[in-house]
Amino acid sequence: MKKPMVRIYTSNNEFIDREMNAAEFVIYQADQAAEVIRQAEAEAKAQAKAAAENKLAALGLTTNDLRALGL
Amino acid sequence: MAKQTFTTGQVLTAAQMTSLQQTAMLGGAASAKTASYTLVAADAGTAISMSNASATTITVNTALFAAGDTVQITNLGAGVCTITAGTATVNTSASLALAQYESGTLDFTSTSAAIFIKGAGAAAASGGLTLLTTMTLSGASTTSASFSSDYKYLKIYFREIYGSANDVLRLRLNADTGNNYYAEFTIPSTPATGRDQGGTSIRFSSIDTSSTLTNKMYGTMELFRPSDTDVVHIYGESIGKNGATNPQMSFFSGIYDNSAVITSLTFFPGSGTFSGGTVYIYGGN
Repeated sequence: MKKPMVRIYTSNNEFIDREMNAAEFVIYQADQAAEVIRQAEAEAKAQAKAAAENKLAALGLTTNDLRALGL
Repeated sequence: MAKQTFTTGQVLTAAQMTSLQQTAMLGGAASAKTASYTLVAADAGTAISMSNASATTITVNTALFAAGDTVQITNLGAGVCTITAGTATVNTSASLALAQYESGTLDFTSTSAAIFIKGAGAAAASGGLTLLTTMTLSGASTTSASFSSDYKYLKIYFREIYGSANDVLRLRLNADTGNNYYAEFTIPSTPATGRDQGGTSIRFSSIDTSSTLTNKMYGTMELFRPSDTDVVHIYGESIGKNGATNPQMSFFSGIYDNSAVITSLTFFPGSGTFSGGTVYIYGGN
């Protein structure tokens, strides 16, 4: 399987474009897995917020009303 | 011209006279080195240039030079070149380390001792910024060349960054993947905040897939005390998108908590690859 490419700068603004080596690919996979988790958490947080706002709206309230109550 | 021992009746050639004139006028070609080097007797009275992206040394030993001999050393490479006392003694009122484009002269006071007189190079100019590298982002990550740690701060400019996925731009120092990054960011317009406590990289800014000029990411970042082996403080601000309707301004601050001086930076998108963009890294004193 072809691994992702990386760019490594050397001196004098020259660079090398090459495939990730095995060690870099392990780090890359860990980064990708962490990013998936972060995005899932952010999505869940956004959905929870939207659901809470819908509940408030059903009660005729807004987030400004909650702030006014010091919540 | 290397130091000579002239003899009575010797005929000097035109080339020798030209070389002597250059030496007398503090000029002449430098002997170019690309790897760590140990001085030899023939280096007396000459200039040596070092060019290497990684750290190098110039070693000084005894019984090679006489009192009054000099050797000029200039570092052209991004890696720090350090004057190292081998069997000889080398004293200085400044640093024995030469950052890129710095220069100094070894002035021998005896066969076994020299004084290193360091001149002010471009990197040492007080208050000035030295462009260390310009990088065009590409691939799943882009890593800078190794640069001198002899700066009080690093200033980084980001211009027209975008990627193959709507995501974020992340940063690692020295390619360190340890849990040494502590940072917070805020996006006032959303509003949104986030925090990494002991993360393996730093989230810097949103990036977008759009190649439209106004949708690309622009920003600045400062790393304070990159040579500090306690913590390095980082602050940045940017404007970019992450699939959002409008570009978002975000602010970021954090620390890198590891006992290592900073000599390289690695940028990578949270997912996908870079489609383009330029990063300028400056060193400041």
